[in-house]
Amino acid sequence: MTGKIRALVLTGFGLNCDLETAHALELAGAEAVRVHINALIDGDARLDDYQILAFGGGFSWGDDHGAGVLQAVRLRTNVGDQLRAFVESQRLVIGICNGFQTLVNLGLLPGFDGDYQTRSVALTFNDCGNFRDDWVTLKIDTRSPCVFTKGLDVIDLPIRHGEGKFVTAPEVIARLEAHHQIAARYARPDGAPAGGAFPHNPNGSLDDIAGVCDPTGRVFGLMPHPEGFNHWSNHPLWTRQADTRKRNGQSSLPAGLTPGVQMFRNAVALLQG
Amino acid sequence: MPHRLEVTLKPELFDAEGETLRRKAWDYFGIRLDTVRTVSVVTIDADLTPEQLDLIRREVFTNPVTQMSSYEPLPVPFDWTVWIGFRPGVRDNPGSTGVEAVEDILGIQLAPGENLYTSKRYCLAGKELSGDDARKIAEDLLANDIIQQWKVFQAADWNPAEGIGIIIPKVKLDHTPTVSTIPIDSDQALQAVSDERNLALNPNDIPTIRRYFLRDSVQEQRRRVGLSDPTDLELEYISQARSDHCNHNTFRGLFHYTDPMTGQAEDVDSLFKTCIEAPTLKLQSENDWVVSVLWDNAGIGRFDDDHYYVITGETHNSPSNMEAYGGAITGIVGVYRDPLGTGKGARLLMGGYGYCVGPRDYSGDLQPHLHPRRLLDGVIEGVRDGGNKSGIPTTFGHILFHPGYLGKCLVFVTAVGLMPARVGDAPADQKKTSAGDLIIMCGGRVGKDGIHGVTASSEIFSENTPAGHVQIGDPYTQKKMHDFLLEARDEGLIQFITDNGGGGLSSSIGESAQFSNGCVVDLEKVPLKYEGLDQWEIWVSESQERMTVAVRPEDVDRFMALSRKHAVESTVIGHYTDSGKLHIRYNGETCAYVDLDFLESGFPQWEFEAEWLPPAARGLREPVIGEPASYADLLLDMLARPNVSSKEWVPRQYDHEVQGGSVIKPMVGVDRDVPSDAAVIRPVLSSPRGLAFSQALLPTYSAVDAYHMTACAIDEALRRVIAVGGDCDHVGGVDNFCWPNIQYHPEKNPDGKFKAAQLVRACRALRDVCLAYGIPLLSGKDSMYVDGNLAGRYGISHKVSAPETIQFSAISRVPDIAHCTTMDVKVAGDLVYLLGITRDELGGSEYYDHLGYVGRQVPEVRPETFQPLYRCLQTAIADSLTASVRGIYRGGLAVHAALAALAGGLGLSLDLAKVPLEEALRDDKVLFSESTGRFLVTVAPDRRQAFEAALDGHAVGCIGVVTEAPRMVIRGTRGEPLVDLALDDLKTAWKAPFGDLV
Repeated sequence: MTGKIRALVLTGFGLNCDLETAHALELAGAEAVRVHINALIDGDARLDDYQILAFGGGFSWGDDHGAGVLQAVRLRTNVGDQLRAFVESQRLVIGICNGFQTLVNLGLLPGFDGDYQTRSVALTFNDCGNFRDDWVTLKIDTRSPCVFTKGLDVIDLPIRHGEGKFVTAPEVIARLEAHHQIAARYARPDGAPAGGAFPHNPNGSLDDIAGVCDPTGRVFGLMPHPEGFNHWSNHPLWTRQADTRKRNGQSSLPAGLTPGVQMFRNAVALLQG
Repeated sequence: MPHRLEVTLKPELFDAEGETLRRKAWDYFGIRLDTVRTVSVVTIDADLTPEQLDLIRREVFTNPVTQMSSYEPLPVPFDWTVWIGFRPGVRDNPGSTGVEAVEDILGIQLAPGENLYTSKRYCLAGKELSGDDARKIAEDLLANDIIQQWKVFQAADWNPAEGIGIIIPKVKLDHTPTVSTIPIDSDQALQAVSDERNLALNPNDIPTIRRYFLRDSVQEQRRRVGLSDPTDLELEYISQARSDHCNHNTFRGLFHYTDPMTGQAEDVDSLFKTCIEAPTLKLQSENDWVVSVLWDNAGIGRFDDDHYYVITGETHNSPSNMEAYGGAITGIVGVYRDPLGTGKGARLLMGGYGYCVGPRDYSGDLQPHLHPRRLLDGVIEGVRDGGNKSGIPTTFGHILFHPGYLGKCLVFVTAVGLMPARVGDAPADQKKTSAGDLIIMCGGRVGKDGIHGVTASSEIFSENTPAGHVQIGDPYTQKKMHDFLLEARDEGLIQFITDNGGGGLSSSIGESAQFSNGCVVDLEKVPLKYEGLDQWEIWVSESQERMTVAVRPEDVDRFMALSRKHAVESTVIGHYTDSGKLHIRYNGETCAYVDLDFLESGFPQWEFEAEWLPPAARGLREPVIGEPASYADLLLDMLARPNVSSKEWVPRQYDHEVQGGSVIKPMVGVDRDVPSDAAVIRPVLSSPRGLAFSQALLPTYSAVDAYHMTACAIDEALRRVIAVGGDCDHVGGVDNFCWPNIQYHPEKNPDGKFKAAQLVRACRALRDVCLAYGIPLLSGKDSMYVDGNLAGRYGISHKVSAPETIQFSAISRVPDIAHCTTMDVKVAGDLVYLLGITRDELGGSEYYDHLGYVGRQVPEVRPETFQPLYRCLQTAIADSLTASVRGIYRGGLAVHAALAALAGGLGLSLDLAKVPLEEALRDDKVLFSESTGRFLVTVAPDRRQAFEAALDGHAVGCIGVVTEAPRMVIRGTRGEPLVDLALDDLKTAWKAPFGDLV
């Protein structure tokens, strides 16, 4: 493929992480374009022109009737065929927070047997009963087909949501597990499973599930915000790490991509071949 | 035919909302519930087919994985069920997004009058639950009478076929819009009309108003447009424009200041001009980073060559006091329109909050409208939803408890935005309207919202009249408008923009028309929420989420196309002229025709008597107290004071990181739970520059002298931004005054003269300290009537006045965020330094308050010695000589050293004999003095020499060392052990009051 990988970041109707999601994609080497949902519906923008589609964080339609529900209704009603064609043409989709909630309401996840329409998992209200902003540790399933998590193992990312508790039937979990579709789980700081313990598992998600992919690994949704860790200074302990680095004669901030940006980089790298 | 859909979680799923209610009912009222299940109700007042109803039930309102639903009442078991719904006209955000979704999926438009209404039913199960319990939960936990209605049903009385019934809170006014003419035969006649119509005209203004309308030339002009005596709309316009809120009559007033003790007497002509405008203009002339101050909706500072930042702060006290959630969400969403309406428009970057409320556990006789606990819950949640749903991080804030706020709470909200330095070739900070520009109203529609502020009248509670005087902000509508307007700005389509807040169109058009010198407005074009509003109501309504924009005729098509793309309603409602006239029409008939320069002319200045009594003359003295024998218990109790203790549950529910630029979060340290000195963000993600932001308020010092209250708040806010890496040469301030009534009245306000003197003194401190530190006031606001009359025992009402309060916010540019520091101690073996002198300054302190005293020796700010120290510290931080930096604020050295240790997860060993003092001081005073100008800094041993050299010549003491052992050990000035406590015990005490809250 020649030229830059093009990524479309959805905006509008109360979405709000579009600027930093586009920034993280650019840091990862993509050309990111913020596109209003209505521009997609009106035909002013076409999914065909992009290789990565990012459903970002926010409060689409105020999250008033279940997070991500109305966004999914609008997209399915107006551009459902385009979306399925995009997914079926082996391009990449990431849904972050509100985007993850939208993907499961669209039925793009879990995508068993190529079925990208059935709603079989849900993200519901946090057990703690409130919106929560904190950092969590994630344990990546290194055997997952997930494109975005390749090469990552234990990473820290921020969560910021009120409806992030992953629920589904036991047989669905078993199936997700069997196919290594549970790409990211909430963990203790050392990478051991959170085992449902708050606040390591911040919302009561079944099986500590933080993010899942479809069986191909090309559609990925997660509650934590990789774009929220686009710079080393986003990490809550960065001044402590910087202090150590300075005592060792290093600059306060490391070089290289943050784990958050690395997720996007993995996607761009795969498409670049 | 209306339909009622009920939706609930499947029974096997945990109901987090229900569980929260169950817990609160027990914690707040001791009502024991076994389970609570929540049922969402959507009442669909629209003509839909059974197929359509089933489709929207399945696809829009029911999640097949987690929920079940039915158009029949759901058979969720309960002993009592409580239904809560909105009153007519109250903003129902889920109702309107529901309409959007239904129209989208069905491909239809609902007919006029058709609508969706949302409400909730709580199914309470509890063996001992009584009807009174259920009503208590409905009334004191769930519903606020002002905006909501409720019903309770016992299981035995429940009709499973009818459920709650069909309740449609639709506004029906059945009123023909009418313009009334007001007779002005005499001053008394006009005053009577003003009282009757709640116009709140100032009696002193009435002769000026009458003179204008009686002038021959004016009458002649008016006859030509079909007018005679003033219309109700014209008087409303004048009343709005002349209000203290819009015109700042108090701050522009004439103060006769006297000090009977010294015989000193002085007239102060306009606190605004002398203490705010003059110093700020002077500082603007000296600092080229100060781009725009004193005229626009917010102040503007230079971030870099290509970007400006924008800042302002507001309060929303009275509405929050009545309806905490609605008031607070309207406040935060409202202040976010100020940067959006500054220059040609700024993108919102972050928000801050400050809440001053009565004690959370108040159990006295006074009966505030809302108990402080409930009020605080609502305020916290309002700012949570307003901020989070706007996609704007709430990066910093504080909460202060004081019985003075029982009368009225304070809700401060601060907003920071970012704009490009230029739009096309034009400077983005400048804007004007020109004759021929179209007047466009964008965003929400107009209803009877906020008319005449918060005036609860009896008609409000009838069945179909709108409960509009308290609003609920709608961040979703505003976020769409925000995104739209920024795109329009970047295409150069905006000539002028301002928000519709207080005063509505009257204020936004009245003020913007001053630039072109005239306007014509056709009020019938203004989109309404419901029919039946009088013309004057359309003109002054404060319905939220609206901006007024000036657009050139040649740009209007493109502007409207963008508006449609963003699903934002925009309407041309008139045009600007250069006629000199404010000309308002309704269906072609003139209903206002006023000379725009009328407001500038001849209104009398407000006057105040201000009588200062120094603290000694008021009988204040230092308490006579012996030295404590148990310092450990004292320190633990100080950490458990509500104003000191952990309030983690608040910032934890605020998204403080969205937009991806979080550098220093509201809480820091190994456990991410200790409040930081200030917040830092990277507003331009590709730039290493940052913005540091802090706030401070110290109202207890006002009990001694509001001069020092103000001075110390400024100094604290300044030290806070310096502690994280801010730049002394680039600090801007925002002053938010909240004052009790200062107008003397022998019975109703007998200490009005003293409160007026406190205001004069506070303004002088603002002038003195800002000039000394070089802090221009980028923005500021005042809220002047923070008093409440509360019912008490025996039916006696008591006037409760708030302590004189200033919240001072500081913003500073950080040259390179890689050098930012946090307050957590980092490594065992590091040296602990105390910078600045500790004095016998405990007047108004947390320590004295703990012991039940005020004292007299309040901390004083000494910029001439403090500022050089701050500069040296700034250099030391930039040179990486410091490992941690903490300012010493309320509670003193002991409290803030403990917090630095807790944040680092490492111990401290401190020796009070090394603390820099002016004169000998007892250990308890050393530990708890609130002397300002001080920092606690830790330094790696190998940087000791360089650090001491950097601070050479300043009062600096190496008072201890960071230890691996997780203990706080303090030796007294005479070498004896005072404190030896485990960090775990300190943390337990510090989290005791609010640690369980989520």
